[in-house]
Amino acid sequence: MTVLLSICVAVIFAVSVYLLTSRDLKSVAMGLFLFSHAAHMGIIAMSGQPLLSLGGETVRKASPILGTSALGLHVDPLPQALILTSIVISFAVTGFLLALLVAQHRRVRSMDVTELREEDRPEMPDDFATAEAA
Amino acid sequence: MHNDWIALFVILPMLGGIVTTALRGHVMLQRFAGLCVLGATAITAWTLAFMISPETPVLVSWMGAWQPPFGIALALDGVNATLLVVANIVAIAAYMHSFNTIAPALERGWFHPLFHLLILGVNFSFITGDLFNLFVAFEIMLMASYALIVLGGGRAQLAQAYKYVVLNLVGSTVFVLTAGLLYGVVGTLNYADLARIVSEAKMTGAPLPTGFQTLSVMLLFVFALKGAVFPLWFWLPDTYHTMPSSISALFAALLSKVGVYAVLRLFPAVFASPGIDGLTFVQQLLPIAAGTTMVIAIICALSAVNVRRILAMILIAHVGYLIFGVSLMRPGAFAGALHYMGQEMIVMAGLMLCCGMLEKRAGSVRLDELGGIAKAMPGLGVMFFLLMIGLTGVPPLAGFYGKALLLREGIDAHAWWLVGATVFTAVLTLVAMLRIWVRAFWGETSAPGLVVPDGAEAGPAPRYGFATAGIALTVFVSVGYGLAAEPTLAWATRATAELDDPQAYIAAVLGPQDVAEPHTAPAGHHDTVAMEVSR
Repeated sequence: MTVLLSICVAVIFAVSVYLLTSRDLKSVAMGLFLFSHAAHMGIIAMSGQPLLSLGGETVRKASPILGTSALGLHVDPLPQALILTSIVISFAVTGFLLALLVAQHRRVRSMDVTELREEDRPEMPDDFATAEAA
Repeated sequence: MHNDWIALFVILPMLGGIVTTALRGHVMLQRFAGLCVLGATAITAWTLAFMISPETPVLVSWMGAWQPPFGIALALDGVNATLLVVANIVAIAAYMHSFNTIAPALERGWFHPLFHLLILGVNFSFITGDLFNLFVAFEIMLMASYALIVLGGGRAQLAQAYKYVVLNLVGSTVFVLTAGLLYGVVGTLNYADLARIVSEAKMTGAPLPTGFQTLSVMLLFVFALKGAVFPLWFWLPDTYHTMPSSISALFAALLSKVGVYAVLRLFPAVFASPGIDGLTFVQQLLPIAAGTTMVIAIICALSAVNVRRILAMILIAHVGYLIFGVSLMRPGAFAGALHYMGQEMIVMAGLMLCCGMLEKRAGSVRLDELGGIAKAMPGLGVMFFLLMIGLTGVPPLAGFYGKALLLREGIDAHAWWLVGATVFTAVLTLVAMLRIWVRAFWGETSAPGLVVPDGAEAGPAPRYGFATAGIALTVFVSVGYGLAAEPTLAWATRATAELDDPQAYIAAVLGPQDVAEPHTAPAGHHDTVAMEVSR
């Protein structure tokens, strides 16, 4: 089980790194999306086997709820709590990134990293430009 | 329990964010409420810092009263108390400055809530005692900073912002992955518990778990990205000059220092702890990162013409000093790094705020367009000069003491090429700053905003009371920090003693360690068994 998960994680990491090297920012965003998925799956893979061998017999670990099973026989809930927190955060940040790309496309008319690099970099900041969007 | 007051560092800025959101549209009320909250946070930091004494070196608050080490701890000790005091003073200065310099449309927008949420993230990352919580704090801080960086939606901002967002997103993902893997390897994410595991390994000579060093390197990557250490600093100069000046002051002073603080807090005690064979690679990596950051960044600073870009590169070079202090792994060097970090935060913020004044009054921050500012704006000239000599480290001011301490420790440790790099950087910092001073502040007045066209009547000079007060606050604090070098240095030495020998910190957070079974509470005991079996 852990080996299978590790292979999945490796494949997803490879795909996401490939996407991250793209010049198109849409692909970069998708690459980041997959990158965080791979990280979450990596943590799951790290959190140990869901099965436990007790005296030659293999049993499934119980849900981590006090009173439902003997102490010591349930799954460690903490990695899942970590992942849950992290999923929520990466969801929010990915949403922000996509919104940023939409705004950028409207304003700069480009999603290509090379074109953005050639975009003039005014040395003056936009302090004084009143927010047209607002 | 007075220890629980340290949660105020999170509660107060959150309150600020909520109140200013509710007051959206009423700019004056937002400013007043915001200043009250920031002032209250600074006063809290100052008061709590005095509760730290040799008897109670660490104030710990376990969230929800969970038993150590399973709960989430907030811990305040000398190191983060220093940084919290300084950070909140910087925040007040930048906030006051923004009243005059930020575009009104932005201020009516979401500037105020985002500002407070950024401070929330910064304070939270200083105060937390748990690695995963540090990740959450970073995310709060970054989320606010993503929004601040594109505030107003200018063309240059949007074209540059993706770099910052994408890189930090990669950094955050690596961070969460590392935290998860670390939990899988050692079964805890509490700083004190991690330090306990490492120091026990050091005492018994037992090897650390497999892969511990890999995780150290991954964490160093994350913090180096946040702290803009070479070669991970390229995003910083591109984004800093696209932001409104008060925000860039805040970023310069606080955001990069949060990464450095994490290195200072975690690497000497845990991830690059000296005396452990398994961590030699990380220990070698730190001085290399420090040296290259200093030298390359300061050379870049000499080639720039935009004052903001010059300051951003100097900021990066000085991050190198701090990493140098950590890499020596000597108590004196930690004290020097902490002292220098406090000074650097104040002075960098002050200089960035001066830049904001230049933009507002003189209409430019390019060296080839500026001249004679000292004559046209003498007050700004004096303040800039004081900050400048503070940054370069002229003796009565604070930059000197931290740097001198770092150099002395470097010489004692025979880290010759790093000492050479530090001296080289210090000299070139002076050259870069003098370049600004000579080109922009001396000579004939020539700036787009200051030269009056022929025949036109020169209007009365606009007054920027809040902005000037903000800069004056940073000048006052930085000069005071230097003149009070004896108590501040003694404080820094006492505060950083625990980084070298974490036993006091471990005992304060986790309870006395000499007992064979430290977690005597029945629930805690069974949980320990449960966690060990499940792995």
